[in-house]
Amino acid sequence: MTAIALILALGMSVVSCKNVKDADVQNAAQEVVMADPALTGVVVTVQEQIATLTGIVEDEAAKMAAESAVAAVENVKSVVNQIQVIPPAPDYTELDAAINAALADALKDHANVTATVQDGVITLNGEIRERDLPTLMEKMNALNPVQIVNNLTVK
Amino acid sequence: MALTEKYKELIELARVNNVMVTHNGKVLKLEGTVPTASIKDKMWDIYQRLDPQFRSNDVLMNVKAAVTEGGKVRVVTRESRLNIRKGPGTDQPIVGKAEKGEIITLISKSNDLWWLVRDVDGEEGYCYAQYLEPVQ
Repeated sequence: MTAIALILALGMSVVSCKNVKDADVQNAAQEVVMADPALTGVVVTVQEQIATLTGIVEDEAAKMAAESAVAAVENVKSVVNQIQVIPPAPDYTELDAAINAALADALKDHANVTATVQDGVITLNGEIRERDLPTLMEKMNALNPVQIVNNLTVK
Repeated sequence: MALTEKYKELIELARVNNVMVTHNGKVLKLEGTVPTASIKDKMWDIYQRLDPQFRSNDVLMNVKAAVTEGGKVRVVTRESRLNIRKGPGTDQPIVGKAEKGEIITLISKSNDLWWLVRDVDGEEGYCYAQYLEPVQ
């Protein structure tokens, strides 16, 4: 009697284990990941209760957050983290606009100098007298650019 | 040569005066406020000596001399008189002029590039900050 009960119990437990569907675990894990806006680029696939994470996030913290979130999902045995960390390209739109707005004033006394801005880098062209160069450079530096490229002809 | 090596002298003077020094391998950045205009000028002299005609494109130096609102500033144009304008911008009408070397009163520097000043005649308006230097 006891032996039968044991066999039954074992049988039941094996059945209950087999009842865990990878697709369900995968859906649950993907749902958890989607709840975090930083993890929208993460894809979860589950095979035999092992979750594999792929996709792209912006930083290492997000990569770790995805791993621990998925590890906590029920019936996930382990997590293979293959997420790529790719930081976003900096956005210089605002800085370029601010520098462009200030350039006319800064160049007013330097009629033969032209300046262009891209990605925060000011490029100077034209010509200038050597004695006026430090004044101009000081003005350009005060605009807080990322870099100044000096192509000026110094007379 | 590493930037920190090339500009060692400049970095040392900057650090003594609590100027923030950072670099990303490509550009050395010096940012901050120094106690006097002469220290600022000295930093520019060193920079120019270490990088003649500023050709290397590897330094950003945004260093200002400390100045308090209500304090005195000197007009440091090269030869011409300095325009005092109604508002902050070269598109603004000129309301007065200050002589080179003249000492006038700083009212406000709420605009980083254009300072509000009062000249000796009591005329108030905006001047381009690069042509004003604090008087110690």
